[in-house]
Amino acid sequence: MALPLPPGLTPSEVAFVCELEMVTVVPRQQLKSHDLLSGPTPALRPPHRAPLPLWLALLLKRQRRANIIPPPWLLPTSLERILRYETETSPSAFSPPPPHPHTVSVLPSATDQMTPPFLPSSTADAPSGHLPYHWLELGEILLEACSDDIPDPDKVRTLLRDLREVRMAKMRASTKELEGGGVVSLRGVGAMEVAEGRQFVVGVMDGLRKLGASRETERRRREEEGGDGDGNSDDDDMEME
Amino acid sequence: MAYYDVDAILTDAQKVPCTFELDVPRLGYLDNNPGHTLHASTRVDLPIWLAEMLAVSNITSSNKPLITLDLPPALTPRVMNALKADAKSVDIRALAQNFYGLGVRILELFEEEEVCDVLMGSWRTRAAEISDHAGNAGQGQRGGGGGAGGDGVEFLRGLDEGERGLFRAQHDSSKAMRVWMGEMKKA
Repeated sequence: MALPLPPGLTPSEVAFVCELEMVTVVPRQQLKSHDLLSGPTPALRPPHRAPLPLWLALLLKRQRRANIIPPPWLLPTSLERILRYETETSPSAFSPPPPHPHTVSVLPSATDQMTPPFLPSSTADAPSGHLPYHWLELGEILLEACSDDIPDPDKVRTLLRDLREVRMAKMRASTKELEGGGVVSLRGVGAMEVAEGRQFVVGVMDGLRKLGASRETERRRREEEGGDGDGNSDDDDMEME
Repeated sequence: MAYYDVDAILTDAQKVPCTFELDVPRLGYLDNNPGHTLHASTRVDLPIWLAEMLAVSNITSSNKPLITLDLPPALTPRVMNALKADAKSVDIRALAQNFYGLGVRILELFEEEEVCDVLMGSWRTRAAEISDHAGNAGQGQRGGGGGAGGDGVEFLRGLDEGERGLFRAQHDSSKAMRVWMGEMKKA
């Protein structure tokens, strides 16, 4: 409470994190390989596509040295399909995130724990029809920086707006079903949506938890059963402090 | 509740009706009768922090509590029925400034399953309403300061402190989001 910033990330911080995502570029000029903290970038040779982190791709795009290929899920047909899924197929749940590219087997392997940005969810060969974790911010950034590379950018923009509205409405409606300790499934929710909804949802949960606290202690007391009267009054005193 | 939390202090200062079980000499000024004895079975409104201590302590020899507590007017069955019927139309700020805080304190002292259910239900329904209003209020501002609808103003005036906190949280985060999107457009 005393901290000036609320918990969680602000939208601009989420967008900053999003710039680590890999995107596919088509270079217009040659550029030799650079050693970054995240590893060396591939050498760029004009007709060949290459994966680059978004921030570098944006830099090159701004200098007109490369074109960014929009990820397949950002195309109007894919977004329309997702929107149809969100509104008609499952009006209450969020559309599922893209499938894990590495096969997850019974045996644990190193790739099980991999999440974006270490999974290429926004390159040209990402699966279409699924919204990745950074869908909203990546879509907005790409629409802003390279709308000339995206087919039908106005349609994409309206579809992104629609998707955001539909999913925020779901997020808001989810608070109605919240129980004191339970959480509605947030599978498939993006980073920006978490940043936007966090404070409200946490506030509602906190209120419910406080209201249900006395019932919870009562239930626990009944479960223990063996506890004598003195022990309980001690518990109550601690609650009051 | 933190020690310096103003809302917690204000919650504790809300009054609950109490009935004295003993004669207390020279406490008559609590009942507009200064200088006299406060008789047993007098009903006095006391702040909850004091009433709680007096009700749970066994300072008398007969092991009887000094006072007995009643449900505060804000949590009477009448209000509970109104909340059950339509949680959105109740002006809970008029009932108590920290309505839910008071509810939490009372639920610690009384075993009221129904009150607990009703309060949780109304918190949940009203939260959804608050979030809609918080989003719309911001959009009104963006559209050129068009004030919120009359219905909304009425509802928002009836929010208690906890709900105002929720409203602020939702409003701030959707505003931050819009600022970011606006920046994207400008940059």
